[in-house]
Amino acid sequence: MRLVACDMAALGLGMTPGMALADARARVPDLAVFDHDPQADRQLLEWIADGCERYTPSCALDPPQGLILDISGCAHIFGGTEAALARDLKMWLRRHGLTARIALGATPDSARAKARFGVRVINALPVHALDCDAKVHAALQRAGLKTVGDLAARPRAAFAARFGKDYGRTLARLLEEEDPRITPRRAAPVIQVALNFAEPVARTQDVMAAITHLAQQSAILLQERGEGGRRFEISLFRSDGHVARLAVDTGTPTRDAALLDRLFGERIDTLSDPLDPGFGYDMIHMAVPCSEHLALVQAGLESKVNVKAEKAALIDRLSVRLGPERVRHFHMGNSHIPERATFERPAQAGPPSAFRITPQMQEPQMRPFRLFDPPQPVEVTALLPDGPPRQFRWRRHVHLVHFVEGPERIAAEWWRRPAGHEPGKGGPTRDYYRVEDSEGRRFWLFRHGLYAEGGDPRWYLHGLFA
Amino acid sequence: MNIKAILSAPPSNRMWQQYQSEKPQRLLPVGAPLVDQRLHGGIAQDGLHEFFGADHSDGTAAGAFAMLMALRLPDAETHILWVSGDKERQVSGRLHAAGLAQMGADPARLVLVQAADMRDALRAAADGIRSKAAGAVILEVQGHARLIDLTSTRRLVLAAREAGVLALLVRGDAAPMPSAATTRWQVRSAPSLPLPGNVPGFATFDINLLRHRAGIAPFAARVTWDHGDRIFHDAPLSGGLSAGSAGGKTDPELRRQSA
Repeated sequence: MRLVACDMAALGLGMTPGMALADARARVPDLAVFDHDPQADRQLLEWIADGCERYTPSCALDPPQGLILDISGCAHIFGGTEAALARDLKMWLRRHGLTARIALGATPDSARAKARFGVRVINALPVHALDCDAKVHAALQRAGLKTVGDLAARPRAAFAARFGKDYGRTLARLLEEEDPRITPRRAAPVIQVALNFAEPVARTQDVMAAITHLAQQSAILLQERGEGGRRFEISLFRSDGHVARLAVDTGTPTRDAALLDRLFGERIDTLSDPLDPGFGYDMIHMAVPCSEHLALVQAGLESKVNVKAEKAALIDRLSVRLGPERVRHFHMGNSHIPERATFERPAQAGPPSAFRITPQMQEPQMRPFRLFDPPQPVEVTALLPDGPPRQFRWRRHVHLVHFVEGPERIAAEWWRRPAGHEPGKGGPTRDYYRVEDSEGRRFWLFRHGLYAEGGDPRWYLHGLFA
Repeated sequence: MNIKAILSAPPSNRMWQQYQSEKPQRLLPVGAPLVDQRLHGGIAQDGLHEFFGADHSDGTAAGAFAMLMALRLPDAETHILWVSGDKERQVSGRLHAAGLAQMGADPARLVLVQAADMRDALRAAADGIRSKAAGAVILEVQGHARLIDLTSTRRLVLAAREAGVLALLVRGDAAPMPSAATTRWQVRSAPSLPLPGNVPGFATFDINLLRHRAGIAPFAARVTWDHGDRIFHDAPLSGGLSAGSAGGKTDPELRRQSA
């Protein structure tokens, strides 16, 4: 067993990562060691990254123990200089018992190398910073090139010819000549507004007031862009470093602050584990990660209720409270099988499809009011094997059939089956019967398969008529 | 029957006068002349109406009748909010869009809400009524529900009156309990008039007014739905079932009133 990581105290005792545990114990018998848990390390890194979003929305993980923050244009909040931001970050980390080495650079690679090797000037970086393999490293050493500064002074072409193009690019990135940008762990939102508190807030009412304020601010920003948001996210930064996130989706683009206020109110009310403010939140963010075009609407002078807007608001509200999949619209399916002919989709996903079914004036309903999916098995007595039902038993009650219409034959979707085009392999055909029992109830029954298709076909109740 | 005729009709008692004086009612006619005559024009368009299934398996008929009453609304473009729970979907099946279209509804105008429990369903229905986004809100409740009581129904009634929305409560497999509903009906599937070839005919219901807030006397009728014109017609009372005996269960409040 070997040491994977050591803290400052252990380093002071001469321990180094990679040392065998037996050697370490021989030197320091009462050395405290813990099992290596990469999962927990990763979680801690994520936790720190969440907290770092108070400095910038664009933050990337550099495992196993690095974080890269893109602070372009973020420093003005912390007194104008990047160094002030870095100091604030260092203080924040120290408050949570974390030691960090922070370096600033014009490119992610340069900042990363400076932090790793603890130097302030790029030219002083050892050639190790190039991440080159041992052979290349040895060659550089033999040539007397010890620092990145030495490399930078030489003509670049010879270097690329000797060691390959990749090293040339790495060097350019280290020297801040090429900026590859980072890939943030969360996409940068269209709009982000923040509220800092001198004293942490803990009461739900205060949090709601802050959300109202942020909603108004983002509404103004959205209006300037002529857009409306489809998703709004609130990040609550607790003073002990924990970050809670709440999000609401809307079915149509919106920038109505009052509506957002209501939706977030609903969202907080329906949290399965309520918000735990602890010692309070010292910062609240609202981000709009997804927005769409939304033109200005002239409010009418007449007091007529805008039904369309009301409906969208109602759907959003119910979707936030019950979950989007519980508020649905009907859609036409692309199938002739009754249970697939129409389907339901979350109402927020889009408007319902237009229905082309027109009722036949001279005919009663041929399709039931309610449909069972899956169909319910029933015991049926018929005079002839392939004939209509005479009586059936459903949910422990026997129904005598008085009137019957059928069969309406609906073939299976043979093209969905392998070798379905061959006779007898397309799946069982259904024979549907519309029946009315002696008490006037109307049912939709079907026999799953024909006797000619072999087997002993079962009967099912598929729907109930009005 | 127009509003003048309704107002000039002899008031049956003091309650009817009170009912009239509260607010000018917008009445939704059922369509069948015999029924509308008894109702002095129809049911309140901004009230809460309860539809009980007469028997354990008549929840379908109650639900269908409520849906058809919502289709009777004069504004053909209005939305209908159908609120039910997981249990209702399990027991009575899901709504079938193709069947609804054949009943004369436009499935695209329907918003389906499936709540996890009764509390959520009640809240969703109340929100739906208050938002005025839908012309009709139908709440389907299967079996005994403790939460549907005087208080919760009173809340729905007030919301419906305030918003001018038709609120319909469908109770499958449940005994009538005291509630604040404007009207209470018992609905049962009735044998249809068979079409040539002994084929099941048009949707027919036995409806039984159990209680009317304005004191209109209970009565029973049989109606058939005409999906072309979206209207109910009086159906001939044929077959073994007589209209008077249609009520299987008695209403406890009704009993109290007559006592």
